[in-house]
Amino acid sequence: MARICLVCQNIDCKSRGSERLTTELAQKIAAKGIKDVEVKPYMCFGACQEGPNIVLYPEKSWYAKVQPQDLDDIVEHLAGGPHVQRLDTIDSSLKDLIYQLLDTGVF
Amino acid sequence: MEGVLFPHGVPEGREELKDYRARGGYQALEKSLKGSPDELIKIVSDAGLRGRGGAGFATGKKWQFTREAPEQPRYLVLNGGEDEPGSKKDRVLLENLPHLVLEGTILGAYAIGASKAYLYINARYDDALKSIQDALAEAEAAGYYGSNVLGSGFDLEIEIVPAPHNYVAGEDTAAIEVIEGKKAWPRQKPPFPVTVGLFGKPTSVNNVETLANVPPIVLKGADWYRRFGTAESAGTMLFSLNDDVNRPGVYELPFGTPLRYLIEECGGGMKGGQKIKAIMPAAPSSAFLPPEKIDTPLDHNSMREAGSALGCGVVKLVAEGTCIVEELIKIADFFATESCGQCPACRMETSSLAMMLKKVQAGQGGMPMLEQFGKIIAFNKGKGFCNLIAMPGPPIESAIKLFPGDFQAHLTTGKCPVN
Repeated sequence: MARICLVCQNIDCKSRGSERLTTELAQKIAAKGIKDVEVKPYMCFGACQEGPNIVLYPEKSWYAKVQPQDLDDIVEHLAGGPHVQRLDTIDSSLKDLIYQLLDTGVF
Repeated sequence: MEGVLFPHGVPEGREELKDYRARGGYQALEKSLKGSPDELIKIVSDAGLRGRGGAGFATGKKWQFTREAPEQPRYLVLNGGEDEPGSKKDRVLLENLPHLVLEGTILGAYAIGASKAYLYINARYDDALKSIQDALAEAEAAGYYGSNVLGSGFDLEIEIVPAPHNYVAGEDTAAIEVIEGKKAWPRQKPPFPVTVGLFGKPTSVNNVETLANVPPIVLKGADWYRRFGTAESAGTMLFSLNDDVNRPGVYELPFGTPLRYLIEECGGGMKGGQKIKAIMPAAPSSAFLPPEKIDTPLDHNSMREAGSALGCGVVKLVAEGTCIVEELIKIADFFATESCGQCPACRMETSSLAMMLKKVQAGQGGMPMLEQFGKIIAFNKGKGFCNLIAMPGPPIESAIKLFPGDFQAHLTTGKCPVN
């Protein structure tokens, strides 16, 4: 299964620049030569106060309050680098709920 | 059958002041102004009047809380922001019986000690707005509101505010926001409007039908009113039936009347003689009932015991041969669109549910997805400012329980079991 970066596009995340993040993340992934990752918009992860939110699936990493300057670290992670711990701030009950949804094919 | 609001059947055309007076109109106001507001609140409490906007809160209690709130001035809001799909009871009252509604509003204002009342009416209800405007002119000329109403010393200003036509605009705190000149966004409660409402002052927001019940209660007494309905749901209620029955319309029935009477005797049964697959007693947000529950009495307690709700009386029928998944998509899309968007949990829930149902419809996701509906609903419970977040749950969860086959067929074969 191809890997996916889901970038939330609901009101709060969008108002904090998630559209720009979507474009830049796709460009950086391409520039890095990563072929098996697709960047996709997602309707809402329910963590609006913590936006913009990006979830990597199927590996289940959730990055919150992502800024353009964080994207290089996320791309590094996708290329096999370390998990970006400073962006991993979401409550585990919400994570579980969303991961279960994604597991059933909701994306 | 004798009624409270429609004593002579469903009215046709606007009732003018002279006709309203000929049947005792504004006598309740004359009578009440000679007594104290506390006496008026007591009659309404003794009658057991409950709000008809959906929540069923005791009207006398709401008025008492507002009256007892220390801040001044106080306000009364007539809530005619009716925008539930299929609901037309408030429109019928506003269009045809504007003086009954107006007298109820003036009485409510007197009860809580308000010097100003706002008539908040769906902006798309052109005829209702016109009817109320004409009635206001007649009532003002007759001295039923304005300064020193009927020589009593009670002063009351009344203003019409058109309500935006979106679902949440009918929520009481959203109505208050609109009257204040803001967007129709519900406020976080508490504080409740009875203590901190319009312009931060004590406010009673009452549904059109609720206030229309007040003049007959005052005129004929609490005991007379309690002859209708049940002990916990006194009086009558207006029910809206739509195109799924042979005779759509608004029907007044005493609480406790079997659902079957409404559907068969009033509505003439399902259109085209179709068989009923499911009944939604409070569309679009109540649980579905199976057809075996057609004899459930139409009152708050009985509906709750049957697993559903009475809401504001929009009864929707689903015909045999209809796919419940397709029906739910319409409902879920409605709530996803009507969510005002200010509460993150509501946005996530309503948009996720709508998307998940479309996945089911398309046969994507498999059976484990069905378990996710309840999880999403439970996770978001109570996380919104208003009740919209709780609305898609009952239809979806009841449908999964009652019609698992419809879901299974979509998920396992990717095809609709019906179409």
